[in-house]
Amino acid sequence: MKFLCVPCDEQMKLKHALGPDGGSVALVYACPACSAEMAMMTNPHETQVVGSLGVKIGPGEAPETAAAASKCPFTGMLADMGVPLAAQGADRDASPADGESGANGGNGAPAGIPWTAEARERLANIPDIVRTSAVAGIEKFALDHGYDEVDAAVLERARSFFGIA
Amino acid sequence: MKTYSDIAGDGGSDVLGQVLQQRERIAEAMAGIDHVVAIGSGKGGVGKSTLTMQLALALGRAGRRCAILDADLNGPCQARLAGLERAPLLPGDRGMALPRTPDGLGVVSLGSLLPESEHLAFDSVATGDSHVWRATREFNLFQQLLGLVDWGRLDFLLVDLPPGAERTLQYAEALGPAARFVLVTIPAALARGVVARSAAALGTTPNEVLGYIENMSGYYCGTCDGVRPLFDGAAGDAPELGLPCLARVPFDPRLATASDAGEADLPPGPVLHALDEAAEQLLRCVA
Ligand SMILES: Nc1ncnc2c1ncn2[C@@H]1O[C@H](COP(=O)(O)OP(=O)(O)O)[C@@H](O)[C@H]1O
Ligand SMILES: [Mg+2]
Ligand SMILES: [Zn+2]
Repeated sequence: MKFLCVPCDEQMKLKHALGPDGGSVALVYACPACSAEMAMMTNPHETQVVGSLGVKIGPGEAPETAAAASKCPFTGMLADMGVPLAAQGADRDASPADGESGANGGNGAPAGIPWTAEARERLANIPDIVRTSAVAGIEKFALDHGYDEVDAAVLERARSFFGIA
Repeated sequence: MKTYSDIAGDGGSDVLGQVLQQRERIAEAMAGIDHVVAIGSGKGGVGKSTLTMQLALALGRAGRRCAILDADLNGPCQARLAGLERAPLLPGDRGMALPRTPDGLGVVSLGSLLPESEHLAFDSVATGDSHVWRATREFNLFQQLLGLVDWGRLDFLLVDLPPGAERTLQYAEALGPAARFVLVTIPAALARGVVARSAAALGTTPNEVLGYIENMSGYYCGTCDGVRPLFDGAAGDAPELGLPCLARVPFDPRLATASDAGEADLPPGPVLHALDEAAEQLLRCVA
């Protein structure tokens, strides 16, 4: 979607966003020539459809960490603007399960053990919807085998333990 | 006044760029796969999932490296068929590690993560209106799976499709023009009529349909070691499929029992023979 300021014949630029509020996000665009502003407000259907496409709306990229996963497709933009979101609160070394929102996740997830930054980064290789279950499985493996932290070596050991090439 | 194409970019989000990036990621992840073959039908319950697993095993017997992607996100069966109901998903340094059976067959199925007592649920801010966005979200998950799994070097990736003629078409478009199709039918007009619709839908795509497998083609009786008719005749007045028949696989209760138990191996007999025949035909088609 593009927005044009008709009097100036100039493309309007995304300035900031408000929400999500009741499933709606307001995107404020401004004309670089005349400074006029307009807001595009999504209804929950529109918010959800954009989120279902798996694209992020907003200037700049969202950090590709597990904690950035959120039910709001506008997360990246809101995070850049310092709008607090539930999923943004996770500490660097807390369990990734804490900040997760995956709908099917959370069931029986253990209390959580620390993850190294490298191990956390690898979680981007797991589809978001099943990330919570994956985290739970890995933490169970780590605890069962006496590790007190999940690092890349533990992930490799889990791979050979489960016979995954 | 400027038009849409006069304006470069989209005002900040670069949605198009993100979509292209996702496509590149998928192409990169699948670069080591020689052949993608989707097993569809349009009709449910005709044996798509069972034959996908059996075809992968038969191709394995013929020395080919295979993996299965379970695209039936809402009714995933491949985890049970492979005995991988508890396979952990592990992130590697080049993608998600491909879960494997003890025999080395790669199987990616949501059934490995969701117990059969749970359904696949997505977060939504549009509660009660899932018909509006659900299919879009499912294809996004399917494409995530394609692009995130570390498939490695494969001769065949077999994709087990959900029912629905329109879905079959959508998967052709999601997989891209290089993916080929095998359709599964049974000798009943009710099934073949639906499979004919899927064939018609696929006819509008550049994707090649290699042929069909007629499943439940007679009943194998272990007591008299013979194949008896299961359905009364052929498919009555249903339209011809106009496709080559790759194999006719009889119904064998031992196959159903083994499938339920996640046991791969079948005793020698007409079913095993037909499956090897199907694999041979498939190899001939893609050669
Ligand atoms: N040739 C066969 N012999 C015995 N049972 C079969 C055969 N083909 C399929 N079945 C059984 O039929 C049922 C439906 O098969 P399934 O593969 O799940 O179908 P679909 O994937 O098309 O919905 C399963 O219980 C399966 O074990
Ligand atoms: Mg099936
Ligand atoms: Zn203006």
